[in-house]
Amino acid sequence: MNIIAKLGLAASVLAMSSSIASAESTVRFWYHFDNADNPMNELVESFESQNPGITIEAENIPWNSYYDTLYTSIIGGNAPDAAMVKMFAQPRLIEMGALEPIGDRIDAWADKSDVQENLFELTSAQDGSSYYLPVQYVVLYLYYRPDMFEELGLDVPKTCDEFRAAAKALTRDTDGDGRTDVYGFGLRGSKGGHDHWASLTLGRDGVSLTDGIESEAAIAGSQFVVDMFREDGSFPPSAPNDGFQEIIGGFKAGKTAMTIHHIGSANGMVEALGDKVSATTVPECGGGHWTAFGDESTAILSSAEDKDAAWKWISFLSTAGNNAKFNEATGQLPVTKTDSATWTLHPQRFVEATVDSLPFANLLPNRTETSDFVNTVWPVSMQRALTGEITAAEMNAEIAKLYGN
Amino acid sequence: MQTHNGPESADDAGRQSRRRLSKRILPYAMLSPAVLVTLTIVFLPMLQTAWMSLHEYVLFRPKEFKFIGFDNFVAALQDEVFWISLKHTIIWIGVTIPGQMLLGLVTALLLNQEFRWRALARALIIIPWALPSVVIALMWVWIYDSNYGVLNDFMLRLGLVEQAVPWLADPDLALGAIILTLTWQGFPFFAVMILAGLQSIPKSYYEAASLDGASAWRQFWHITLPGISGVLVTAVLLRTIWVANSFDVIFVMTGGGPGYSTYTLPLYAFIKARTNLDFGYGSALAVLFTFLLMGLVLIYLRRTGKAVQ
Repeated sequence: MNIIAKLGLAASVLAMSSSIASAESTVRFWYHFDNADNPMNELVESFESQNPGITIEAENIPWNSYYDTLYTSIIGGNAPDAAMVKMFAQPRLIEMGALEPIGDRIDAWADKSDVQENLFELTSAQDGSSYYLPVQYVVLYLYYRPDMFEELGLDVPKTCDEFRAAAKALTRDTDGDGRTDVYGFGLRGSKGGHDHWASLTLGRDGVSLTDGIESEAAIAGSQFVVDMFREDGSFPPSAPNDGFQEIIGGFKAGKTAMTIHHIGSANGMVEALGDKVSATTVPECGGGHWTAFGDESTAILSSAEDKDAAWKWISFLSTAGNNAKFNEATGQLPVTKTDSATWTLHPQRFVEATVDSLPFANLLPNRTETSDFVNTVWPVSMQRALTGEITAAEMNAEIAKLYGN
Repeated sequence: MQTHNGPESADDAGRQSRRRLSKRILPYAMLSPAVLVTLTIVFLPMLQTAWMSLHEYVLFRPKEFKFIGFDNFVAALQDEVFWISLKHTIIWIGVTIPGQMLLGLVTALLLNQEFRWRALARALIIIPWALPSVVIALMWVWIYDSNYGVLNDFMLRLGLVEQAVPWLADPDLALGAIILTLTWQGFPFFAVMILAGLQSIPKSYYEAASLDGASAWRQFWHITLPGISGVLVTAVLLRTIWVANSFDVIFVMTGGGPGYSTYTLPLYAFIKARTNLDFGYGSALAVLFTFLLMGLVLIYLRRTGKAVQ
């Protein structure tokens, strides 16, 4: 009798705890924000008040090791339930079996029609199914100093040749001490700088990362970048090692007259330079135009315990209003039509440069090799080419070897 | 009496053998927690690494865990980057350790003199050693910065250079610049160890030597150096292993760049495994490096063991 009573008690405790577990669920969410005044807590609070029973544990993972941490957490069995993700990582995540297909959820979602349609196409997988829900986007364009251009009587460059000539002219000694103190262009030579090189190379006739990267036109693109550094001296000497902080810091401090980045840094630049900063599309090179589309989506991981709760959270972030708040923090552009129509966070000239760049904005190839291209192959071979250890042709050969073409 | 004695002596013998047994077991029982922890957190991962190095194991293809024998090792020996990294590792150890030791020795000799504020100086000297590597790396990145760095500013003002030098972006200078940083970080360890050694040398030796007319150099060579040789051997051994394995400062300062110019073997293994997610190849690099380092340590111990004796 006693034993039966004990068993009964244990069973009822178990039943109670399991019912608590189903009512109370936690969504672990990983994201990366550079912004120090992170408004994520506000979004979490607002979500939790609308969805009692779901707790969001949002964790800001440093960008430099974001994907390393994400991949190893998946293998280690400690992956988050949902995470912020970019397209270049999608093939790998799919290959790992780490992503939950969300096509049906997106189709059934009331706010689907408010998200700009082409974004769903851009972020769908190679086989056409959907794993990503877009949350923000940017397009890379050219920042320049109109005051410096005016001072030297230069026109804003439209082609690669004009760009090179302008950069050379802008590289000068402004205080008369015999030393160069302004450089024409701030090149990002370390990890993350592939977009700079790509803008000057991949637009050329018949060139793409997976095809024709060893053609004459493609080699001319890499050579163009190397020559601007080694022959013209138009980049700061630290260019091979420069990352995001250096190129943005250098431009804000007036050390460089041009650089390539997206609208995410526009407000910081205006704060530092006021009217002395403007934007235009990247130059057209070798008869074609190429710039990088900077995508950012959210995804549910296949290991998520409560996928419904995870979906509620990520769709919340891509809904009008919340999406605006999210992008106010990242400084990028909202994906919802409603928020885009009322967007006033960035000065008009930067929004225009973004819109003008959209027609030739591209993503890197949707292949597993792209991660290695971004993380090691491009930075190492670009740095070696810039420092003269290898030629432009050898650099392109390294990329061709990676993609097996 | 006799009948009484029998069971008692059997009891005694039992107690004694139990005591003997417990005496034999006790050391093992006392050691086992530490041994168990070491086995789980050091030896198990080591075995796992060795096991992984014999496999094709790319993290984003977790299902394709294929045994390939020594293919990873063969590939490493044919890999240009392996040899570049090995060369840099040798330079890295070969310059940093003597640099740290010499600087540490000089510092220790100075700190062993009588002067005011000696206690304060002894405390301050430990600062570089006490700072986290990441802080040191970031600090020196700023010192070397070609636009705002204090080093370039000094050199420009003194007229030593015409243009700011991109210390970390020039493949010929980057490794040297990082070695200097690490030398600065590690010399206090030598200084403190050597200082302890110096204080154990009896003053009377020096008094006797100076009575015999020995010069300061002779005193250093025949009394000081033999007196601290034991400490030096240990300190060099420890630092060699630490410096050889440490890549955090390189990782933060250049990430291995520009190109491969600051790649060392542990960094290469880390990048292969963690960034490229090729754990099979990364493990093979790590295993190779472990054997190389073990060989170096054995040779060192043999040679110095003889010298010290």
